[in-house]
Amino acid sequence: MLGFRPLPWEYGVRNLLRRPTRSALTLGALATVVLLVFVVVGFIRGLERSLAVSGDPSVVLVYSLAAEESIENSSIPARTDGLITASLSGIHKRFGVTHVSPELYLGTRVAVGESEQGALGLVRGVTEAVPLVRRRVRLIEGSWPGPGEVLVGKLAPAKLGSTADELALGNSVRFEGREWKISGRFTAGGSALESEIWCRLSDFQQALKRQDLSVVALLLREGASASEVELFCKRRVDLELQAVRETAYYESLQKHYRPVRMLAWLVVFLVAGAGVFAGLNMMYGAVAGRIREVATLQAVGYRRRAILLSLIQEGALLSAAASLLAGGSALWLLNGMAVRFTMGAFTLRVDSVALLIGCGTGLLLGVLGAIPPAIKALRLPVAESLKAI
Amino acid sequence: MNVKSWGAMLVAATVAGGCGEADRQAGTTPADTAHSPDAAYVLAAEPSGSLGVGEARRLADEEVTVVGRIGGSAKPFVDGLAAFTIVDPSIPYCADEEGCPTPWDYCCTQNEVKDNIATVEIVDDQGQTVAKDAKALLGVKELSTVVVQGKARRDEQGNLTVLASKVFVKK
Repeated sequence: MLGFRPLPWEYGVRNLLRRPTRSALTLGALATVVLLVFVVVGFIRGLERSLAVSGDPSVVLVYSLAAEESIENSSIPARTDGLITASLSGIHKRFGVTHVSPELYLGTRVAVGESEQGALGLVRGVTEAVPLVRRRVRLIEGSWPGPGEVLVGKLAPAKLGSTADELALGNSVRFEGREWKISGRFTAGGSALESEIWCRLSDFQQALKRQDLSVVALLLREGASASEVELFCKRRVDLELQAVRETAYYESLQKHYRPVRMLAWLVVFLVAGAGVFAGLNMMYGAVAGRIREVATLQAVGYRRRAILLSLIQEGALLSAAASLLAGGSALWLLNGMAVRFTMGAFTLRVDSVALLIGCGTGLLLGVLGAIPPAIKALRLPVAESLKAI
Repeated sequence: MNVKSWGAMLVAATVAGGCGEADRQAGTTPADTAHSPDAAYVLAAEPSGSLGVGEARRLADEEVTVVGRIGGSAKPFVDGLAAFTIVDPSIPYCADEEGCPTPWDYCCTQNEVKDNIATVEIVDDQGQTVAKDAKALLGVKELSTVVVQGKARRDEQGNLTVLASKVFVKK
């Protein structure tokens, strides 16, 4: 570059090592701020992913018109699945089995281990047809539940505030006045189903003294449209049903949780903003102690922008190291951590987007934090600065 | 506060209020998008002798002319098919001043709706339901009053479906 002589790269690096305590403290503070950003972004990404993967575009949910957007409030006649099977031609059928899953779904208190009180859990009464429709479900341990037995989802311990050991195979849970033995565990590709407990539909109906269903989930055959199911619901006005694609159902939940996500993003900005001020404070301190050094560099012929660049380099180096430290810690400690939420549970997700936002925020803190104090130091007259203590 | 400040506040308030109103309307009021109706299914003049939906449920012969208002649920139209539900015009829906975001769901008069609702399917020459949204096909929206002509089909539970070949849109 003509007429521009930057300070050597090593100068900035050595400067950081010359003040190890101050550098370590700045590094720690920046890493903490970036880690906080990772926590919040991981929360948002986890929630978004949980809702995004929960819907299968080929699955249509038929539930009560009065339930509006919540299947928990739905009550439909027990014969609905039979009526649907008999009336619709667009349902996937294989080896003579129509892929229709009648389900009874309820949020209820579930007690685990010695606890008497229990926590609010989500229980779904299902038949053996459920894996035909809920295609992401995999039995990872144990066997299909028999009478008085349940399957527990991978995230059910998080939802119930208990440990995986307490919900191990052979242990029992208590809900609706009965004791249920755990016969197996399942995953569902990270979807909301993973925070549920599943038992046999007939057992659950008996326990609740109910004959109705909450929802009928059906798998459409390839090329079939959900409109046929919608039209069936319109024709059978007496049943007061509505049909919604599963993806649309979870999209509506996404809208429902929009304020939570907006609030979380606000927290990201507030944390980042606080980080910028903390960074500014630290950098002011760091540069204030180096006024003579800055003036000396000017006196020996380095231009102000070269010195500014070197100070920014120091800030960027520190913040990059802090971002790496925080990113590593987030991947190790936070990624996959289960979080309890109203709709169930989900895992914090430190993915590429979260890493980009977290590390980007970190780098920005370092660079932006270095500029104002550096400019302030460079504005002082050289002769005056050389006499500074 | 000077004139400029007041002006800026007024502009800001208008923009903020305008955005909120736009959001509210986008999600809750009937679509105002103008659709040019398909002349093959739309009548230019109102047919005479139409029955209200409630009366048609009790009395209708095979060929009927029924008048009703599009509604009965928050989502009265079927996506991708020319089908919707209509409610007897004598049944009141939520008044504007009540502030109901979806007055066409008749949430205040649900018990009366049960016996005064019918499903309308617009069918082609082969008797198949037309695979096009009714809003686009007929230029209608929620709470539009329509007179439909076609075949009545009533099931054992008393549900009435009109397989309509012609529709007159009143308003």
